[in-house]
Amino acid sequence: PFFVNRGGLPVDEPTWERMWRHVGRIHPEGERVAQRIRGAADLPKIPIPSVPAFQPSTPIPERLEAVQRYIRELQYNHTGTQFFEIKKSRPLTGLMDLAKEMTKEALPIKCLEAVILGIYLTNNMTTLDRFPISFKTHFSGNYFRHIVLGVNFGGRYGALGISRREELMYKAPVFRTLSELIFDFEEAYRRCWHTLKKVKLGHCVSHDPHSVEQIEWKHSILDLDKLTREDFRKELERHARDMRLKIGKGAGPPSPTKDRKKDVSSPQRGQASPHRRNSRGDRRPSGEKKPADSKAMPDLNGYQIRV
Amino acid sequence: MEPSGAGRKERPKPREPAARLEKAKQKSAQQELKQRQRAEIYALNRVMTELEQQQFDSFCKQMQASGE
Repeated sequence: PFFVNRGGLPVDEPTWERMWRHVGRIHPEGERVAQRIRGAADLPKIPIPSVPAFQPSTPIPERLEAVQRYIRELQYNHTGTQFFEIKKSRPLTGLMDLAKEMTKEALPIKCLEAVILGIYLTNNMTTLDRFPISFKTHFSGNYFRHIVLGVNFGGRYGALGISRREELMYKAPVFRTLSELIFDFEEAYRRCWHTLKKVKLGHCVSHDPHSVEQIEWKHSILDLDKLTREDFRKELERHARDMRLKIGKGAGPPSPTKDRKKDVSSPQRGQASPHRRNSRGDRRPSGEKKPADSKAMPDLNGYQIRV
Repeated sequence: MEPSGAGRKERPKPREPAARLEKAKQKSAQQELKQRQRAEIYALNRVMTELEQQQFDSFCKQMQASGE
């Protein structure tokens, strides 16, 4: 299961209790975890990280490193309860208000929250393009979803984000093409036994924190089961070209395409957060077929390598 | 004689000091609760992060032992 706190902060009692019950169910020590922590008088004081501020002369790559350090300092949220509710269909201005709240409350976050935060912290970097990159992968009979914030600075691609896995978040803006960046992620997934199935690339996000535009999360949907390697690369570069030309909804015609593969097996997701994943043993009712395991994975009490 | 009140807006009645105090107390209590929750969340997150890391390390070892 995957829980979201929808009542704001402080966390309301039902949500709080649900969080602890969930922990009690999944941790080997059960309820003793809660007993040790709840009401304890000697919990460490966790300082609130300072939002990075830069001199005008600070180079963009250095700023990105600082932004990533800030995101990392909040920590990946392993509690099982997401503390900030993100509705992907909200206008950018609303999401930026939420990002500001994240910096004030300073709690552990997950990948989608990190993307929103990354946008917020890079809005003043007008020479930096930002665009969401979503991944769908397969591991041991289940599908997993993850998202990072792709960046493009001076023609070099990188990424900001947060993940359980170090290799699936920050990428310095050194990749010469979008394909190289995505292939790097694909290889990182392969190293933790995940198979990349789909990539969804959003369009560039406005730098105006008060914009009422919605983020376009799925300008290109690339299904790796339906594309050859070369076609995959071509589609990625097509998307990169679209971004360079700033082609989007209502702004002009998309790149001419004969064979753009649109994903037809996955219906448009509902707009509610979170960016869901399959937990162990759960099956999606979406009709997505589970491919036969090409290799049996050792069973560590059903442990799933989540990203 | 009182000066003419023509054109002068009537000032709103000032809030009762007790209500203001109550609101400040509620805000302070809420802030304390948030701080307390934050401390517990990070303590919990530390435990759960360690668990995840242990499980991941064990799984990697098993994969390596099975020759992948």
